[in-house]
Amino acid sequence: MAESVISVRKLVKRYGDLVAVRGIDFDVMRGEVFSMLGPNGAGKTTTVEILECLKSKTSGEVSVLGLDIDQRVREIKKRIGVLPQDFNAFDLLTVKENIEFFGKMFSDHIPADDLIALVDLESKRDEYFKNLSGGLKQRVGVAISMVNDPDIIFLDEPTTGLDPKARREVWEVIKGLKAKGKTIILTTHYMEEAELLADTVAIISKGKIIAMGSPVELVENNAKYQIVTLQSVDEIVFETVRKIGFEPVLSDEKTSESGWSTRKMCNGY
Amino acid sequence: MKLRVVGANLFVKLMSVYREKTTMFFTLAFPIILILVFGTIFMSQDNVNFHLAVQDLDQSKASKDSIEALEVNGKFKITRVDPAANPVQYVRDHGVTVVLVIPKGLEKSLQRRKFFNDYKASATVTYVYDPSSSSVGTKIDILNGVLAGVNQELAGIPPFIKSVKQSILARKYRFIEYFIPGIIALAVMTLSLFGTVNVNTELRQKGIIRKLSTTPITRIDWILSDILYQFILAVISTTAMLLVSYAVFAANLHINAWLPAFVLLNVFAFVGIGMILTRFAREAQSAAAAANAISFPMMFLSGSFFPIELMPGFLQTIAKMLPLYYVNEGLRAAMVFQDNLDALRNAAIIGVFASVVFILGILATKWEEGK
Repeated sequence: MAESVISVRKLVKRYGDLVAVRGIDFDVMRGEVFSMLGPNGAGKTTTVEILECLKSKTSGEVSVLGLDIDQRVREIKKRIGVLPQDFNAFDLLTVKENIEFFGKMFSDHIPADDLIALVDLESKRDEYFKNLSGGLKQRVGVAISMVNDPDIIFLDEPTTGLDPKARREVWEVIKGLKAKGKTIILTTHYMEEAELLADTVAIISKGKIIAMGSPVELVENNAKYQIVTLQSVDEIVFETVRKIGFEPVLSDEKTSESGWSTRKMCNGY
Repeated sequence: MKLRVVGANLFVKLMSVYREKTTMFFTLAFPIILILVFGTIFMSQDNVNFHLAVQDLDQSKASKDSIEALEVNGKFKITRVDPAANPVQYVRDHGVTVVLVIPKGLEKSLQRRKFFNDYKASATVTYVYDPSSSSVGTKIDILNGVLAGVNQELAGIPPFIKSVKQSILARKYRFIEYFIPGIIALAVMTLSLFGTVNVNTELRQKGIIRKLSTTPITRIDWILSDILYQFILAVISTTAMLLVSYAVFAANLHINAWLPAFVLLNVFAFVGIGMILTRFAREAQSAAAAANAISFPMMFLSGSFFPIELMPGFLQTIAKMLPLYYVNEGLRAAMVFQDNLDALRNAAIIGVFASVVFILGILATKWEEGK
């Protein structure tokens, strides 16, 4: 049986009168990708920031890697990696220098060149961070979150604000981490991201977990219909899917400059 | 505290400023420009030569001798005004600040006084002046001094009270030598205050401090690297200022252990203030505005540019409450007067101030957000 590396019981976080997290419980098993899915303001980031030792909890019990988050902050920080929301690094340092800098915050760290290879950024190794695209910056962020070879990696909305191509590039990097057996906590508000990457998805709304399970279980138990996302340069692909009962979700079509159309289609219309 | 972490942070900060050429240029250039501009202005004041317009209505030998005497005095460059001109209009039209009008009958009155001991004989010169000029007072004071000398000579008896100048210093110093310590203090204050506020608010806004706070780096590691970074910049800036002062103005200052000591205390004091401002000003712009609000009064009231004795009494009292005043006084005591006791007294005052604000700055620095 898989070992629990994160245990959360009756976690509450208040900011004055505002209750951001309302008594949630969950466990994260070693080696799984655990996704927190929910809209902005649902409490996802507050929850992970408590697990990252950035925020204090109001009440409840939380342990990370078997260590109490109130008592063992220093030890926890040595064993986790974090890609914060809206990640940024030093503009006037190169990719390699940035990774090396964050590596030096830890007594043991992975060589920068190994991490550059991991996120496939060899060609950008000596490029200043400020000159990278949003997707490449996020890949640097993932490399930096891996710099101490952490037991758990927190990725807080790693693809928010990225174009579809950059988002897929980041997904490939996360899949690579998953293949290496890393435990990953992924917060997102993209359903398809959670479905594609996560072993367990917790859907959070207004500070509470309203559903939790594998993506398949959640779809079977909750979905009344299916949505597929298709990308094609040829209209015939969309026509074929339409013939088996799927209709385009209106106002969700996007076409890239190179002529690729991305369209969501649903069989519940 | 981990030296590896402090060293990495220091490297990043130095590389960032080195690669930002514009920042690097202005960091070094601003105090040097100040020294060159003010040094040139005030060095020429050591041999000041005022422009004076003289209208001679008497056109006599005595009046010509008087004008020549003013020229020989060396303080005035004389322009002669046509006796038919209206002196008030002349001041307005020619942009001069004072016209000295020598009255008609000067020579006659002088002869009556000298040869007939007619003590009722006198002459009244008129200063027609523009009150909006700041140099008018100085010119009139000099002219009054010259007139007092003439009156004294006419009286024919030696003065009872004589004066002689005795400097407290073994050798004569020029204005530039008093000015440079003030500019060093001012430049180090500006670097430390704005450097801390700008760098920290920018890193906070970009989320880099938040990312760092997920690593084992401590608040002390971060602050120590900040102090070292600001101290290195201050040393580079101070060295550049001194080199320019020696090369351009042949300044003669005493470089001793007090100089790095005051630079370090200055850095501690203003990095501490910067840390406090960074805590309370959330946006980079408001932090910079707050830093300006602190640095501007300090710049003009603490005696960096001119002696506080020139200011009204209440401003002098305020000046003595400003930390930069004690850095200025301490540096001048060490670099100009070589007065170790005075330097120590000022170092003690700024040291206590720096300790208090630095501790407050450490307490104000919020490392783990939301804690």
